[in-house]
Formats: sequence, C-alpha cells, structure tokens
Amino acid sequence: MTDGMQRAPQRKGFFWTTESKLAYLFLLPATVYLLVFMIYPIINVIIMSLFQTNRLGKMIDFTGFKNYRDLFKQQVFWEVILRSIYWTALAVVVKTGFGMMLALLLNVKYKGRKVARTLIIIPWASSIPVSAMLWTWVYHHEFGLLNYSLKAAGILKTPPVWLGMPYSAFFSVIWVDIWIGIPFMTLVFLAGMQSISQDLYEAAVVDGANAFQKFFHITLPGIRDVLLIATLLSILWTFNDFNVIYIMTKGGPVGSTQILITYIYEHTFEWMKWNYGAVMAVITFIILSIIAWIYARFYFKREE
Amino acid sequence: MKRQKAIKPLVIVWTVIIVIFLLFPFFVMISTMLKSGNEVYSSPPYWIPKKIAFSNFIKIWTQHPFAIYFRNSFIIAAGTTILTTILCVPAAYAVSRFRFFGRKLLLYMYLVVQMFSPIIVVIALFKIIARLHLLDTYLGLILVNTVFTLSFVTWMLSGYFKTIPVDIEEAALIDGCTRIQTIIRIMIPIAAPGLVTTIIYSFIASWNEFMFALTLVQSVAKTPLTLGLYNFVGRYRTQWEFLTASAFLAIIPIIVLFLLIEKQLVAGIVGGAVKG
Repeated sequence: MTDGMQRAPQRKGFFWTTESKLAYLFLLPATVYLLVFMIYPIINVIIMSLFQTNRLGKMIDFTGFKNYRDLFKQQVFWEVILRSIYWTALAVVVKTGFGMMLALLLNVKYKGRKVARTLIIIPWASSIPVSAMLWTWVYHHEFGLLNYSLKAAGILKTPPVWLGMPYSAFFSVIWVDIWIGIPFMTLVFLAGMQSISQDLYEAAVVDGANAFQKFFHITLPGIRDVLLIATLLSILWTFNDFNVIYIMTKGGPVGSTQILITYIYEHTFEWMKWNYGAVMAVITFIILSIIAWIYARFYFKREE
Repeated sequence: MKRQKAIKPLVIVWTVIIVIFLLFPFFVMISTMLKSGNEVYSSPPYWIPKKIAFSNFIKIWTQHPFAIYFRNSFIIAAGTTILTTILCVPAAYAVSRFRFFGRKLLLYMYLVVQMFSPIIVVIALFKIIARLHLLDTYLGLILVNTVFTLSFVTWMLSGYFKTIPVDIEEAALIDGCTRIQTIIRIMIPIAAPGLVTTIIYSFIASWNEFMFALTLVQSVAKTPLTLGLYNFVGRYRTQWEFLTASAFLAIIPIIVLFLLIEKQLVAGIVGGAVKG
C-alpha cells in the first residue's frame, strides 16, 4: 500500500493449501459479527418494508408491496429522490474541480508546500459533526463572522439569512459537505500527479506543448484511474451524508435540504413510520450496492 | 524551467488565499472561544476579543457536563478500538495468508459492506439493541460502532500482512513455532505500523460518530461528545463560547492523530490506483 511495499510472493505449497480449517476458525468471529450486525439487519429491513408496522416498529400485517406503492404515489418522495441526485452530482463535481485545482497548485515545488498540504487536510481531519456545528455558527445571520466579514470587505451589502431560506440553505449546507470532501480529492489527485514521470513533461516542453496541452495530454490521462476511483467514493460519501444536513437544518426549511438519507431517519425515528423508512432504506441499499460493486470490481482489477 | 519559476509566486499567493478560505470556520472557532458571553452576542460582531476569556476553558469543565461527554467518548472509542482489533487481526491474517473456498467472495463482501451507509442498518439495529436491553449503554454503542470499523480495518490490515514475506513465517514454523506463536511473535511486531494505523482509524471513527449516538443514547450519563455538543446547540440561546472551546479540545487530538495516518489511509482507500 505504501510506496516501499511489495506484494508477498504467492507461492503454492504446503503453506496455502493444508490449513483452511484454521482459516475458517480465524475468520469466524469477524464474519459472525458482520452477519449478526450487518447482514441480518439488512434482511430485516427488507422484510419490514413488506409489512405494516406500529409506532414501535413492530411488524403487524404483511402487506406486500403496498408500502412501496404508497410511497411512490407521494410527490414529496420523488422530490427527495431528485434532490438527492442533484445534491450528489453538484457536490461531487465541485469537489472534483476544486480538488483538481488545489492538487495542481500543490504539485508545484516550493518551500512551505508541505505546510500548505497539511493545513488543507484539516477540514477532512476534523470531526464532521463538530464542523457542521461550527459552520452553523459561522453562518449566523446576525452574530456570525461570515456576514460581518462579507459586509466589511464590501462583497455583499445585505448578506442572506444563510440557513433560514430554502435556496440559500441548500447552497449553504452543500458547501459544508463540499468543504469536507475537498481535502480527500486533493490528496488523491496529488498522489496521482506525483506518480507521473517527469520525463513526459520534459519531452512535451521540447515539443513546444503549452500548459493546457500538458494537462489534457499528460496529467489527465496519467491520473485517470485515480480520478475514477476517487469520484466513485465521493459519490458514495456525498449520497450518504447524514451528519451535515441533520445537524445544520434537519432537512429544512420546508424540506429544502432533505435528501433520501435524512428522510429515512425522519420517517423512522421522528414520525415513527418504520415501514416507509424501511422501504427507502431498501432503495438506498440497492443504489449503494451498485456503486460499491463497481468500486470493488475496479479495486480488484487494479490490485491484480 | 524558467516558466516554472515565473509562475511560482502566483501559485504561492493562490495557495495562501485558498488555505485561509478553507480554514475560515476554525478562525471563527478560535475567535469565539476566547470571548466572554456578552462579546459573543454583540452586534455587529468582531474578530479580536476585547478581553481574552480563558475562563471558558474552565467553565466547560465546572458548569457543564463536558467532562462526562469527554469521558463517554473516550470509553466508547477505546472500547470500539479494542473490539475491532480483536476481531480483525485473525480475520485479516486469514484473508492474507490462507487460500480457502470463498476467499474471493469474502473479500468482495468486506469491501462492499464498508461502503454502506449506517442508515440502512440503523432501523434494524435499533430494534436489536433494544431487544438486548442495551439502549443507552456503552456496550450498545461499542457494538454498533464496530460494525462500521470492522470491514475497513480487516481490509487495511490484510494489506499489511500481505507485504510480510512468507519465508519468515515458514522458517519459524519449521523451527517448531505454532501458528499462533508466529502470529504473536513475528507477524504482529512486523505489522505494528499498520496495526497502529488501524487502531488510530477505529478510534477516530468512533470518536466522531454521531447518528448511532443520536438514536441509541438517552441519558446525559452516556452521551458522547458529538451528541452532547449537538444538544447544546438546540437551546434558545446557544452559548457559543463554550461550544467552540469544547469543539477546540475535541478536534485537536483527532486532527493530530489523523495527520499521522493520513498517507496510509489514502493509500488504503484508493488501493492500487495510486501506484500508477
């Protein structure tokens, strides 16, 4: 995984073949744990999505796909689905663009570059719930230092009530999600860029290539795999972002920041409509499985 | 090369601007945590406190239950880390050293499962934890937190074990060591840097956990830091000077730990792609 590491020679001999009993014994605790606390809950939620439930989440009547039909009839549900999609798309695009720009800046050698790199990691290194709370305070319309600084710098005369209005709330909250995601993108792109041979760039200079040509013909193809895998992961993480939204707005005002993940939580633990929560959890499970499967395929392809 | 030199100052200026831009909320945090309550709620606000109020750092321990929150977070994070390590070391060893039926499938499962959102399972986990009478207990939170550290740690650790040459172990086995002895005396010491990375990772992940705590904890006595701070925000007039002071204390150790493992973490997540 790190630079100096080599893969162990996978020799076949007595070492690999004879002791599979021991292998199963070693794997037993972790696998049983995953079966009980991960696989069983998923199966349970799939079953629950086919039942009528009471306020305590107890399954009462088998109703087949009625929960699904009920939910699909609600306009709000489709709005939430749509919002989840453009929440994810917008955030991932901005994270990728911003991360790429920062990586290009950090790829230039100068004194103090390591310090800059370290400082840029901090939004990712910090605790996400704590950051979300800090941002709530930063955005405070009267006592927040963001509005004060914007006014003092003459950028905005009357800054919006960031978290108070539907449009501004959506953009305020998505920015926090983006802000947390930028460092990862930057680090990964930077690692990719640094593995590209310098000879390629020197040859390009000899051929008279300009900065844009170098970027599109050398840098971008050079980090293609990294770009793909980082984007996939970013899609998963962004789609799953519960903490930022729940802590900052709880999906409001008037549902303007509600995405599938927060909607599931609200249905289940605030409105006590467990069956609908379960239906949406199943939908989320299917979506995530598809993306995770693509990631896994890609990961193994690269490993081998 | 000449052009490289010409753009360098420009690059540095832009990097500095972006760094300041990205660290903005932390500047706000530092400014607020050094103000008194009255200064925090003055309109218009200002950056530099008129009188530096270090007393905030004393008050959070004496007037508010932050000491309890810190203790709870520590117990839960330490518990999760220990449980994760105990479960993952043998599993990671088996995945990296043995060939057996279902190995590939298991690897896929571990990789896919770590991508899942806790929201998928929280509905059923709530019922399981309630049935086990573990709502509002440390053990309940430790059990659910471990679900999400387990697969990633197994995955990372198996990568480290793979890098250790098989020959070393074979020699020990021929010399009469048992398999368990070779793991304890040879594999773990050699893989120690990797083990430290995964231990730090588990600790950070559960220290920062919020949703399970929100769902499974009811009393102040069991509330971890993230939830405790969140409950603090919900009030009519949030005492931001205390909140930012606690936030500062909560994130500094986490940031330092994170910076120690950041390189290995990125390498583990992205896998073969960075090697180029």
